[in-house]
Amino acid sequence: MNLLTRSSLKRLLAVLLMSALVTLMTGAPGGFGVPAYTGLHGSFLERVSYFGLFATQRWFLFLTLGVIAWLLSTYYQRHSLTIRRRLEPALAAPTRVMQRRTNRWVLIAVVVVVTLVLPKFVHQQFWMYLIVEQIGVWILLALGLNVVVGFAGLLDLGFAAFYAIGAYATAWFTGVLPTPAPFNHPIPTLWCIPIGVGLAMVFGIILGIPTLRLRGDYLAIVTLGFALIIDDFVGTQSGLTGGGEGSLTVPKFAVNAGPFHYTWGISPTPYYYLCFLFVVIFLVAFTALEYSRVGRAWVAIREDEVAAESIGINPLKYKVMAFSVGAASGGFGGVLTAGLIGNINPTLFQYQVSVNVLILVIFGGMGSIWGVAIGAIIVQFVTSYLDNYQPWGYQLNDLYMYIGALLIIMMIFRPAGILPSRRRQREIRGYEEDYEGHLDEVLTGDEL
Amino acid sequence: MNDGDLLINVENVTLRFGGVVSLRDVSLAMRRGEILAVIGPNGAGKTSLFNSITGVYQPQEGTITFASNRAPLLSVIGKKTHRIAQAGVSRTFQASRLFSALTVFENVKIGAEDHGGIGLAGSLVKGPRTRKGERASDRVAAELLNFVDLYHEANTIASQLSYGARRRLEIARALATGPEVILLDEPAAGTNPSEKLELTSLIRRVRDERGVSVLLIEHDMKLVMALAERIYVLNFGSIIAEGTPEEIRVNPAVIDAYLGTATEETSA
Repeated sequence: MNLLTRSSLKRLLAVLLMSALVTLMTGAPGGFGVPAYTGLHGSFLERVSYFGLFATQRWFLFLTLGVIAWLLSTYYQRHSLTIRRRLEPALAAPTRVMQRRTNRWVLIAVVVVVTLVLPKFVHQQFWMYLIVEQIGVWILLALGLNVVVGFAGLLDLGFAAFYAIGAYATAWFTGVLPTPAPFNHPIPTLWCIPIGVGLAMVFGIILGIPTLRLRGDYLAIVTLGFALIIDDFVGTQSGLTGGGEGSLTVPKFAVNAGPFHYTWGISPTPYYYLCFLFVVIFLVAFTALEYSRVGRAWVAIREDEVAAESIGINPLKYKVMAFSVGAASGGFGGVLTAGLIGNINPTLFQYQVSVNVLILVIFGGMGSIWGVAIGAIIVQFVTSYLDNYQPWGYQLNDLYMYIGALLIIMMIFRPAGILPSRRRQREIRGYEEDYEGHLDEVLTGDEL
Repeated sequence: MNDGDLLINVENVTLRFGGVVSLRDVSLAMRRGEILAVIGPNGAGKTSLFNSITGVYQPQEGTITFASNRAPLLSVIGKKTHRIAQAGVSRTFQASRLFSALTVFENVKIGAEDHGGIGLAGSLVKGPRTRKGERASDRVAAELLNFVDLYHEANTIASQLSYGARRRLEIARALATGPEVILLDEPAAGTNPSEKLELTSLIRRVRDERGVSVLLIEHDMKLVMALAERIYVLNFGSIIAEGTPEEIRVNPAVIDAYLGTATEETSA
């Protein structure tokens, strides 16, 4: 490969400038919130080992990543046709394998068994806790948003609102908020599951009826506003929601049915199984919906709202349904979080949460239930790992830089997600053929 | 004309967009069971008329009524598009608007499905009523694909069909809703001569075999003259002539609108 051509050197220059910019912008090693310009500080003497340089010299890390990217892109530039031809079968493999019924059942069986025995192999409580809070709950959130964004094609930037509603409903009904529980009668946390889910669905309808008349960008803005309102409300209404400090400890989930008593205690493992149960319930329910007349009506609206109306589909009704159904699993995620961590506060439901869930959905494959679940596991696991071990000079505030890069690479090589939904893939392919690919329009589901 | 035969009655409809008058005092009466064509030069307001009848546009003046066999007289203006479609007015579009990522079969099946009610519980549990509904719409879809001769393409993705086949699929999807009248917006646009012949016979069969009245917009005069029993001519948003194909062919106002020279020459 020829590295010294004009275009290759141009790219090298661009990569070097990018590395310099990133170094300046992201601050010194270990410097969380340290102002810019300090990235060049740090001592060579602190760690002499090779990997030590990554940790102490940020510029070295970014320069290395930049040069790797440059080498890869130069190589790809020369051999793109060959690479694409060789990669095509490999990239299509997951979808092809999943198409066979037996393969699907075998895979499902393997997943179920692995999930059931996983707690036996994770010995650190800390990681078990992370698996429930950072992966389990986020699978639920991603599955719910997938109904809205993936099935019905509505860009919702405020999904965290339903998560917050589930959590605060739990705190309210168990009577741990400053405001007394409804009818001054706190109820057990387990009963909050139907209540939290139901309230989230009702809020989905309330928000949906006025706003779902809007299309594309406008809808995204309104949902964003809704999430900010909820965020602001729980953060500032100290008398009602406990403000920034949030709620007192929400009681643990407990079953008291006749002779049978069980309490979800400190150990995260029982929560893990509770979460698993509901992930399965939502997986089955959303799969059933996808292949029902409701699911087909969603596809019709997503593909062409005008044509859908002309065959008697009421777009508003089905969009509100998508909002409400999606909110259900978001609401349950909130209830589970409240029961698991006890003290809930507004930082858990910030705007960032909505964006993160959307990233999971895009990464996994919009409209693909299994893709979204697997995408959530991968992204959330890697993120949790990076956050807690911070290998190779990784810092907390670098996360979105890498996620941004990941999404750009995804959009180039696999725009329909890691395990694409067949329908979505066709849409994107058709779009690329017709319009040479304006993916942003596919993403917002807005054809006008 | 016997009033009992009236299917769609458009009376004195005026449609404006700001200062632009798209339809001016348009009246049109369509009888049950006829093939009626609306012709006119580009920009004459033909598609605006269709959009007014299907509830996409809301005319400022006039009335449009639809006399269904199944329901009381429906006043169209102010109703939502999907309500009008459910009442029995179905349509196709000038530019093909299929659900292009779905298969040919799914496209028609969506049209055949009952979109009333909530349907969530039924879709989740898949009880006997849901399964019965699924079977019924499957049957309708299969039967209609046979009717438009696309059964062998049932599992093809809609976007991969040829242009003529897309046109036929659109007609099948529109028929799947069980309409009493079907509005065809330039069904032959962009098709080749042999596809045009197929479409002509298909449209006639829609009326003859399925008893669905047909309201047609078309540029292709050969197709219109072969199919239509009556023709309305629109020009600059107004109806300038109405009659059988033979009458329209020799009508001076129509010739004038299409050629635009007759009056100038006579007045000069």
